[in-house]
Amino acid sequence: MGIVDAVTTLLAEFPYALYGSVLVGLLCAVLGVYVVARRVVFFGAVLTQVSLVGLSLTFVPPLDVLGHTGGALSLTALVALLLSGLFSNRKVPRDAVLGVVFVSAIALRILILQKAPQVEVAEVENLMRGDILFITPGLFLFTLLLSAAAMAFMLLLARPFAFMGLDPETAEAQGFRARRWEQAFYLLTALVVAAATHLVGDLFVFGFLVIPPVAGLLLAKRVRGIILVAGMLGVLCPIVGLVIAFVMDVPATPAIVALAAAILLVAWLINRVRR
Amino acid sequence: MKPLVTFENVTLGYGRTVIQRDLSFSIEQGDYFGLVGPNGAGKTTIVRAILGVLKPLGGAIRFQAVNGGAPVVGYVPQRDSVNLILPYTVGEVAMMGRYRNLGLLRRPGPQDREAVSRALEHVGMTGAREYPLKELSGGQRQRVLIARALVVKPDLLILDEPTNGMDLSSKSAILDLIAHLHEEDRITIVMVSHLLDDVANTVRRIAIVDRDVLLVGTTGEVLTPENLSKIYRRDVRVGMLEGSTVILSGRRHGHR
Repeated sequence: MGIVDAVTTLLAEFPYALYGSVLVGLLCAVLGVYVVARRVVFFGAVLTQVSLVGLSLTFVPPLDVLGHTGGALSLTALVALLLSGLFSNRKVPRDAVLGVVFVSAIALRILILQKAPQVEVAEVENLMRGDILFITPGLFLFTLLLSAAAMAFMLLLARPFAFMGLDPETAEAQGFRARRWEQAFYLLTALVVAAATHLVGDLFVFGFLVIPPVAGLLLAKRVRGIILVAGMLGVLCPIVGLVIAFVMDVPATPAIVALAAAILLVAWLINRVRR
Repeated sequence: MKPLVTFENVTLGYGRTVIQRDLSFSIEQGDYFGLVGPNGAGKTTIVRAILGVLKPLGGAIRFQAVNGGAPVVGYVPQRDSVNLILPYTVGEVAMMGRYRNLGLLRRPGPQDREAVSRALEHVGMTGAREYPLKELSGGQRQRVLIARALVVKPDLLILDEPTNGMDLSSKSAILDLIAHLHEEDRITIVMVSHLLDDVANTVRRIAIVDRDVLLVGTTGEVLTPENLSKIYRRDVRVGMLEGSTVILSGRRHGHR
């Protein structure tokens, strides 16, 4: 398939794949700047796995009433709040806490699905992978509303997030309640990750929480520039990646993430040359 | 001088763990006050209590009103506690000092920008406004953090280990700047440090803290070989060299 055919097919038959992946790409990339800056990248990876546990639970009655999205959102938000409390425990390092939750989530997911009644393996696979090509209009609309709310929230809380990220001690001394803003940040990340994982899968979400922000850090010299570069990659990579997937007849999500990783490599080389 | 901050039988700690018990002392208006002690003695805990971040488990901390309101407190954290991954510019970092006044939505106005300009000029960093903080030297970063504390025109400025890890020249320049803020701008200063020499030669009054020990007075009264030997559990000698106090550490107590 040629590039023109790929674009035509994409727009005609899979428009929500395009809109959905661009939306999630942009949102994860912008949020990811703060995730990377706060050194909580692994937190994003853990949340993707927790959201899959939440989703798995909805295959088990009576939790099926929550719906797949509801299950993923509620469990991820709950775990994010619990984790933010556990992070203040100085006896156990933060990454160890995350490691425990990460492996436990994977184990739980396997066990739940093994014992869940009436589960079609293919259906579960699709839901878990978050097949981009099968994003429904309803799911897209829900994610659009959530994204708009998340973006508004990020803009509203830009100052506390920036201050807390740079210097939490002084921010607290100035009257910003550190624990509350910390929880707000984790909760926001959890909701975005849960909804996005359900829409496009864990590989896409974790990839875009990390790769575009790191490319931004390498290419831009100002914070706004970093957010701009990350956001642009969050928009461009899904579009170009989807076209590449159609042209080369390869799976969409790996193609998009691999493209983003290739751009990151170029960013790293540019950064090396500049130095 | 009137006391600006008064600790009345204050007990401090986290949860059920008591760090300091029955603290009673005051920091006077116009004071240049040093807070020293070994690592882990509770200096930061006392600072957190003054800042209002840590509520006392017992007793009371009282503040003298300044110009009819509560005194404005500026805080300069330890330089190493600042996360430099994102390249915030000097101007952006200094503006963060105004965030409390700006709230969540109001954009910085001419008054805020003017306050930032004045503060940066005060610490000699006007030309660096567009530079990322992470690209500056340790001494320059410290100046920017001081500028951020100054943008709210503090009555009381608390500096946590402001000279830690600096070379001699940067250290002297920072201590000169702090002395200037105290003498010319009449800001009450609290300097927290574990570097006894720095504090001994700059502050007017000093509190030396250790677990369940608090000695407060002038440097001459507090920094005696007896007091320091007891607190640091080793022989400590205090002498004068060309008008400056020199503190020398000797053998550890109980060491064979």
